[in-house]
Parts: sequence; C-alpha cells; structure tokens
Amino acid sequence: MSREVPLTTAEHDFIVEALKRNVRLDGRGIDELRPLNISFGDEYGHVKVQLGHTSLIVLMSAEVVKPHSDRPFDGIFTVSLELTNMGSPAWENGRQSDLEQNVTRTLDRVIRHSNALDTETLCIMKGQSCWGIRADVHVTNYDGNLIDCACIGIMTGLQHFRCPDAVVKDGKVSVYSIDERVPIPLNLTHRPLTITFHTFHDGELILMDASRKEELAAEGDMVIALNDAGQVCAVYKTVGRPVGAVDVMRKTSIALQKVQEIKNTIQKALDDDQSKRTRRNVGVEANSANDR
Amino acid sequence: MASPSILLPGDDVLLDLRSTTSTPLKVGAGLRLLHESATSTPPSYTVTAIHAGLLSTDNKRNAISVLSFANHRYIATINDLVIAQIHHSSLDYLHCIVTPHTPYALLGQLAFEGATKKTRPVLKPGDLVYARVLSVGVGAGTEVELVCVNPATGKAEPGGLGPLVGGMVFDVSVGFAARLMRASSTSAPGDTDVIILDELGKKLEHKGGFEVAVGRNGKVWIDCSSNKDIAVQATIAIGRCLTETDTCNLDPIEQRKLVSRTLRAARIDP
Repeated sequence: MSREVPLTTAEHDFIVEALKRNVRLDGRGIDELRPLNISFGDEYGHVKVQLGHTSLIVLMSAEVVKPHSDRPFDGIFTVSLELTNMGSPAWENGRQSDLEQNVTRTLDRVIRHSNALDTETLCIMKGQSCWGIRADVHVTNYDGNLIDCACIGIMTGLQHFRCPDAVVKDGKVSVYSIDERVPIPLNLTHRPLTITFHTFHDGELILMDASRKEELAAEGDMVIALNDAGQVCAVYKTVGRPVGAVDVMRKTSIALQKVQEIKNTIQKALDDDQSKRTRRNVGVEANSANDR
Repeated sequence: MASPSILLPGDDVLLDLRSTTSTPLKVGAGLRLLHESATSTPPSYTVTAIHAGLLSTDNKRNAISVLSFANHRYIATINDLVIAQIHHSSLDYLHCIVTPHTPYALLGQLAFEGATKKTRPVLKPGDLVYARVLSVGVGAGTEVELVCVNPATGKAEPGGLGPLVGGMVFDVSVGFAARLMRASSTSAPGDTDVIILDELGKKLEHKGGFEVAVGRNGKVWIDCSSNKDIAVQATIAIGRCLTETDTCNLDPIEQRKLVSRTLRAARIDP
C-alpha cells in the first residue's frame, strides 16, 4: 500500500485547466516560491527548513577519518538523505525510491561535485587524517519540491556549522572540544542553490516550486542550479517535453532573482541566530581569548 | 443542553437519553457499542469512545456520536458518507481509495441507482464516487464495503450518491468534514459554528451557485461549472476558504470576513 496515491482525474484536470488561466491552487503566481522559514537548533549545523508544507531537518556532523588513498589532501563530505515513513506514508523505510535517487543525485552534483565545500581545507594530516563532514537530511513532511528544500537546508547547514579545532603536534592529532577552543566555520568556495520548475501544456507553461499535487499533474521537470555570483552550476531536465532555449534563458534569470532572495533569507536567519547566540553566551565564544 | 462532555479513547459514555424505548439507539462515528442488555427496561447499553472528542447527543433521533478534532486519520464507520477514488476495477467490484495508504474499499459494480449489468456506470481509475459505508467488518484485514444506493429501496439515498463528474476535491481534516456535515444537517441557526458554506452559497447564488459534496474521510468536492467564466476562480476561492477555516479554526465572524475577503481577491464579488 505504500505508494504515492495517484491524483484523481478531477484534481488533475482542474489543476491543468486552472494553470491555463495562470491560477494556482494556493493563489501563488507562476514564478513564486512558497513561504520559506529557516530556524536553527541549539547545536551548530542543526537547521530546520520549511518551504510551505514541505519541511526537513538537516544535521551536520564532523569526525576525524582517514582520507581516500587516491586523494590524500582531501577531506570527505557526504550528504545522506533517506526518505522514511516520517516524511510521508507513501515512503517505505529501507527501500530506495526513484524520488530518493533523483534528489540524492541532484544534490550530489550541485553541492558536492561543484565543490561548494572546499574539501582541501578539511585535511588535517596528509594521507593520515582529515575531517569527514556529513550532512544528514531528515524529511519531516512532504508537499513537493524536495530538491530545493534540501538544497537550502544543506547550504544553510554548511554555513552554520562550526568544525572543532584540530592541531597536529609531534605527528599526533589532537582535537579541541567546542568549549576549549573556538570552533572554525567551514570554508565554502561558492553557494549554489537549486530552483525547480515543472512543465505543463507541452512545455508551454513552466511553473516554479510545485506542490505535491502540482508535481503529480506535471509533464516534466527542470532543475536550474545557480550560485550567488549568478553562475549557472547545473541545468537538469530528466523527463517531459522539450523546453525551448528562450524559455530556459528566461527561467534562468528568474531563478537568479529567487536565488538572491533565498540567499538573503538564509543570511538573515544566520545573522539572527548569531546575535542570539552571542547574547546567550554573553560573548563567551566571541571574546574567548585563546591564542591560536 | 448540559455542558459538553469531553471523551478520551476508552472512556465509557454515560447515556442520558430519555426516549430510549421507542427508537433503537444509533451509535455514530467515534463510538463503539460493547454490550447491550435488551432484557432490562429501558434497555441498557455499554458504549465506549474510540476517538477523542466532544460527545454529541441527538435526543430526537436517539443518536450519539463523537465530534472529533482537526485530526487527519479517518476510521470508517457504518453509514458515513465518503468521497472515494476508484483505483481499479475487477469483475464484481470497484476497488476504491477512501483513505490513502490503507487497504482498498470495495464498491459493488451494481451498487448504483438503477444499475444493471448493461446500464452500470463505467468508472475509470481516478474517478470519484460519493458513497455510503455499508459495512466495515470486524477485526484485522477485513474490507470496508461501500454502496451508492440504498439496498432496501434501490434509490440513491440520501440524494447525490454516485459518480462525481468534473469539479475539484480539496483535502480538509476529518474533524472539519464532520463539522461541515453537522452544520448542514442541523436546521436551527446558531447551533453550529461552521457557516462558511452557507455564507459562500449566499454570495455565489447570483453567480450560478455551486455544487458541494462533503466526505467524512476529509474530502470536499466542489463544482462551479454552472458559470463557465468564473468556474476556476470560484472553485479555488471556495477551496481556500474551507482549508483556511479548517487550519485556523475560525469562528463565524471571522469566516464571514474570510469569505468576502477571498471573493474580493478572486474578483468574483465586487
């Protein structure tokens, strides 16, 4: 029984018909995101993202591991995303679905392969030890557009996370806990974000940030990944009718605006959290006078 | 009316029904009859709540039920009206989805008004039917059976049972669906706190009105096709009014405001 319930004919026809008049079920515009809310937990790298009714939690963690033998100077960064029953009753625990594969692959390409996190800075000792940074994504509610939501979560997590300080002394690695030394923010080379579109009416209409029902009614999808400098990192189109080049260009410029908007939201959330932490610790971390 | 009594699952219901002798007791949604001793006069019953909610008693019909809160889990109860989605069809039955991710409910191929082997409605996967729960079975693994006809009379009773064509379905909470049903069945105004459908009906009457079917499984079907120009806008406006009333738990005054605000935003009501 654990399968996504197909859309009823009435719902499908109505959504498609309404989109002909540029009307969406929740009253949004064609190129409009759902309300985005980002909040943080107590620990560094604990991020909660809500995009409309889609919500997820990202938890960053770091441990000292041995680097891959072919890349002795590189640290390791992994993204782990598992779709469990917690997110939607349609997902079965321990079985990989197409959606999971698709989301994981896209996130891998956009964030990991574009080298958003500079893994060379994670090296502690050549070929011996490095930091293994891990981002665990837990989906808590699913209402479409998992890719964008997870991408926002991971990128915010990378910016929020602080890695403990590690020092090599006489060939031995010692890690200082967060209380002993000020932990170090991760070194990011750029900040890519994805914007997902769905196509309707033979690729005539291209819709941003589809909800679950709109995704089910859509013909195909298109993911555009851009970084904050306005560079296109990736464009994916897996299924559906072809989309014209002019449309892709047009949507890319709209996506860039949205990426800037999201970036500002993330920055604001990070600033708010930072000032909250400073107030709570009465500057314990900010003023800690340790010599490094 | 006495102060509302709040029930938790497992609570015994203290029956306070005066006219128990004439009509048999009707046990509605959220309650289960555990024991009945017919020998004593008046007959005594042991009824236990299986949902949390407010006890609602109807002395005239000698019926009791539980008004549940805004939960999203529907448990089928006999005589509930539900909106089911056809999943697939077999020789004798249509297999329907009443609640997602649960076993399919069965709807007889001939359980429609005036249906014979030749005249039965042809329903495709994804089509919607408005149906009544005939039986729910006892124990695990039993199937829910639906009908679109009253087996005794052969008519679609209460009216409107059968395939739902066109329109749009909106998801609301099970508790809200029950409140909508109750609002339409009680005639006395002021007895209900859900006036949203009445209000929408009044405002949209001169625009051709709309058709509505409320399923106890948390689905509301809306059809505004009588007025082609505003059909899409009106349907979406109604759907948004309903979901907002449900999620924000609005009182009647706020519901009135919401209706005029939403219709104005959709440029339907000047």
